[in-house]
Amino acid sequence: MIDFSLGDEQKQIQSLARQFAREVIAPRAAHFDREESFPREIVERAAELGLLNVGAPVETGGLGLSMLDEVVIGEELAWGCMGIYSILMASELGITPIVLGGSSEQQERFLRPLVERGGLAAFALSEPDNGSDAAAMKTRAVFGGDEVVLNGSKMWITNGGIADVTVVFASFDPEARHRGVAAVVVEKGVEGLSFQKIHGKLGQRAAHTAELVFDNVRVPRGNVLGEPGDGFRIAMRTLDRTRIPVAAGSVGVARRALDEAASYARERHAFGQPIVDFQAIQFKLADMKIGLETARWQTYYAAWLVDSGMPHTEASAIAKCYASDVAFAAANEALHVHGGYGYVDEFPVAKLLRDVKLNQIYEGTNEIQRVVIARGLRK
Amino acid sequence: MKIVTILKQVPDAEARLRPGPNGVDFSGVTFVIDGMDEYGVEQALRIREEGTESEIVALALGPARYEEAIRTALAMGVDRAIHIETDAGLDPISQARVLGKVIAGEEADLVFVGGKQADWDSSALGPAVAEVLGWPHSDWTISMELSDGRVTVVHDADEGSEQLELPLPAVITTQQGLNEPRYPTLPNIMKAKRKELRKCTLEEAGGAQPLTELLEQSLESRERRNVMLDGDPKEAARELVRRLRDEAKVLSK
Repeated sequence: MIDFSLGDEQKQIQSLARQFAREVIAPRAAHFDREESFPREIVERAAELGLLNVGAPVETGGLGLSMLDEVVIGEELAWGCMGIYSILMASELGITPIVLGGSSEQQERFLRPLVERGGLAAFALSEPDNGSDAAAMKTRAVFGGDEVVLNGSKMWITNGGIADVTVVFASFDPEARHRGVAAVVVEKGVEGLSFQKIHGKLGQRAAHTAELVFDNVRVPRGNVLGEPGDGFRIAMRTLDRTRIPVAAGSVGVARRALDEAASYARERHAFGQPIVDFQAIQFKLADMKIGLETARWQTYYAAWLVDSGMPHTEASAIAKCYASDVAFAAANEALHVHGGYGYVDEFPVAKLLRDVKLNQIYEGTNEIQRVVIARGLRK
Repeated sequence: MKIVTILKQVPDAEARLRPGPNGVDFSGVTFVIDGMDEYGVEQALRIREEGTESEIVALALGPARYEEAIRTALAMGVDRAIHIETDAGLDPISQARVLGKVIAGEEADLVFVGGKQADWDSSALGPAVAEVLGWPHSDWTISMELSDGRVTVVHDADEGSEQLELPLPAVITTQQGLNEPRYPTLPNIMKAKRKELRKCTLEEAGGAQPLTELLEQSLESRERRNVMLDGDPKEAARELVRRLRDEAKVLSK
């Protein structure tokens, strides 16, 4: 049986997220973009409403929402601002390795305080010298006694340095490549951990992105998720899931692009009629709608697979890649529909394009997604 | 104290409405709890939070889709809800007669209802409910305080405001300025599904015969008059100001 409808509760959650995006996020989005500053009040407000760390299990005091719930929320929040949504999305990304690979003791120890405080989490995999080739990481974990000592640096970390909890991937055996990677939970304030905020991003400027530096950071052995060699697998299983909210955010941006383009095209006149009456404009709007709808269904499908406990690697790669490509195209066309006004900050469309470019890059570039998708087709 | 908040569900203010063959075409329209009614829900919650022990009951009369608006009220913090489910198009007086029976049966002390209903723009429901019950009412209320079985309110009058004191039970119609309604939180949305939502038919609620019949609906259209003011520029400017002031009434005298 196939049923495409959302449940009553999901509709309520959607309506809350939509209202929050419309009334709280969207009006302030341009400000935080311009100032390149962290929207602390909005994040706190989101946490009070329960929109932060929604995937934390019920056993740890969280809501334990499904992936479908999460993508319904993600589309709405990203409609308001992709950069601000990235802060919340990156926190879900940060808690996911603990949810997937942590013992119940670890989940209790790390997630309960996070849920209670409304704190942020972060996920630290990429490094200055490697991104897609994650197994080439240079950050080192040395096991000794009851401790693990971390040295190295991690790059492009959303919420990096301001998160209460960061899951860091480090190699304890470089020869073993991906089998020699450990997932280690590092709490804020630990000695030897420092960060540098990255300035001058093209878009998503409300999101705090940093380089994390580990200088003899010592954490208890009990902070390692699973067995030491499980790290890479935990990272990949995490990304298999968390790419779906990236797709959801992309759908939100695509929807915003269509809303903005359609509303402008209905008001702007040329040659004695609203430009929406021209087929050249109508076709752009129709193409945006085609992309938006198909990307949303692929996103929902991937989320449904996760919630049904079925394999979802390929579906989530398709969703992430397709939705972010569609959203980039939609933002680009929305800008074009606005003509000169699209090229300045007075209208929000230029920001949509700057923001959504990142969706094609982070949590696995779209080339990596295609590699994942093609893997099953080679033989 | 028992507080009843009457709810309607209306098209979202940003919805694009189109005329259809049978009235307004609601396909693809998002519906929300009427913003005017939301002030009543918020006020009831505040009365309880400020220390008056209260049971808060949401009451709605309308089609099955109203359930979403009712769930929003439950998620905001209302204790339970009654949904008189009907597709009948009832005028405000007939609605008030049905709602009045349920409110009397609940032995409510205080009733909140939006000052105006956003769908058909009627301001009649609150006063009509008060009339049916024989209770005092305050319309367009902007502030209120409870003490010793009485409620002191400030409400908008034509030019200014009035302060009134009413004995309970009473009907209060609500509007912008009374409070700032809260968002339902996610945890409360999850809890709301375990709260009681009692459904009944129009007949079970006492029945009602519509007093008016809807024959036709049309969209308001605005046409430009395309008036050109020719002649002496000074004369034309004077004439323009006169028309803006006396006819369009967009300039004050």
